[in-house]
Amino acid sequence: MEDLLKDLAAAKPPTPEVDPARMERDLARIIALPRRRVAGSQLVKRFAPLLVAAAVIALVVVLLPHPTKPVQPAAPPQWWHALTRHWSLMVVGDPANPYLVEFRSTTDRWLTADTEISVIQKDGEVEPYSREDEARWELAGKPTRAPQVGGNHSVRVGPMKPAVLKTAVSGFQMSLHSNVRLDSLHSLSKDPVELKKTLENLVGGKDAYRTASLAMELMAANVSDDQRRALFELLKTIDGVRFLDQAPLRNGSTGVGVAVAAPPRFQFSDVETHFIVNPETGLPSRKLDLITTPQHGLPGYTPVAEAEYLLLDRTTIDPIVPQNVPVNGEVESPIVAR
Amino acid sequence: MEDFSAVYRECYPRVLAYAASHAGAQRAEDITSETFTIAWRKLDQMPSNALPWLLGIARNLVLAARRQKWHDEIDDVPVTDDFVRVVEIRSALASLSDADQEVLTLVAWHGLPAAEAAQVLGCTTATFFVRLHRARRRLRAALSTPNYDRARESWKTS
Repeated sequence: MEDLLKDLAAAKPPTPEVDPARMERDLARIIALPRRRVAGSQLVKRFAPLLVAAAVIALVVVLLPHPTKPVQPAAPPQWWHALTRHWSLMVVGDPANPYLVEFRSTTDRWLTADTEISVIQKDGEVEPYSREDEARWELAGKPTRAPQVGGNHSVRVGPMKPAVLKTAVSGFQMSLHSNVRLDSLHSLSKDPVELKKTLENLVGGKDAYRTASLAMELMAANVSDDQRRALFELLKTIDGVRFLDQAPLRNGSTGVGVAVAAPPRFQFSDVETHFIVNPETGLPSRKLDLITTPQHGLPGYTPVAEAEYLLLDRTTIDPIVPQNVPVNGEVESPIVAR
Repeated sequence: MEDFSAVYRECYPRVLAYAASHAGAQRAEDITSETFTIAWRKLDQMPSNALPWLLGIARNLVLAARRQKWHDEIDDVPVTDDFVRVVEIRSALASLSDADQEVLTLVAWHGLPAAEAAQVLGCTTATFFVRLHRARRRLRAALSTPNYDRARESWKTS
């Protein structure tokens, strides 16, 4: 194995030569940039004369007679693009000698007000979780189908087939809440108290987990920054929710988040969902389900599922879907009948 | 500011190398420049060992820039006896998922210890070892598939 990494190291592309002039030029430009945002009140003071001038200009423009509007070409549709990496664990094999497999895949979603295009099971694979699990799987004869422990289905070990789904229905269907459908995201309040009432009505009562998970899903949707901020504020006020002020982010910095007790997930009980936000952008960073007690050989507070938000962005670039995959064709789930 | 300049000059070549290997030489300087611009704005958060943190920023920029495959630029290899092996390895690597490529190249190309590579990817060191183990296994499997064997033979006879 070590030889393999040595071979790989030998195949490293040549390191580009540093251009010292460009390097120093960039450094001079970077350290000339302001490091911190000017605080709100200072900003207002500094730009007060400009704001007054802008207000006068705006008033003049409003009072002037309006010329006939020129005909403009239709703007390209703006998509909400969400790229999410998922993984989760499942216990399979002989109940007397079970092992864990990991489901891993990426989901690419593009949404407008009336269209949704999703690529699911992208780069998807099911495989033994740890070296110990791999050894048990090998001992079991490397089955391509392993029965779920405590379930009626089997799991197909190996690569998943990607699928492309397209729907053209106006409104927004919340994937975790099949009965919740929103006609518009713009109409959602920016006030946390109002928003909480709306969400509780949508989920049909004061169910902490359902309200929290709907708020989390909306935070990853195409809402405004004010709405996203209000959603996070309301999350913190839900009964039983714990605030996390030191949550690790992918880039090594620290995020903030909330923890909420979650219902059992098939083979795992005592589950807690952690929802982590990047405070720099206000965007969700990751959502984890952790077991709080030791189960199936895993210690307490081990993640058993995660969604990692790689990209949440508005774009006018058309969706990119894999070729040779029929749109709305059959989805080959890795969970199959026994 | 002196601290930032020192980190900048020390880490610039390695961030540049990382950006070049994941986004191509043409974009590497721009991504490196953007990485340090973001680092400057977040200077309060910069850890004492800044490299994994900087590579984490560069990684996000590479993802956002919609990764341009480095393996399109195979003309950087001199035609020697090693050429065939380099082509084989890079082709096998390119056949793996982006996640596997990242795990392997952070160790083999960028020389990061497991703890720092895990920091770049935002996972625990234990998880990183699991991913590395699998990625190695898949690289080995990719190298032993008939396509690569055939490619090897054709290079030898040409």
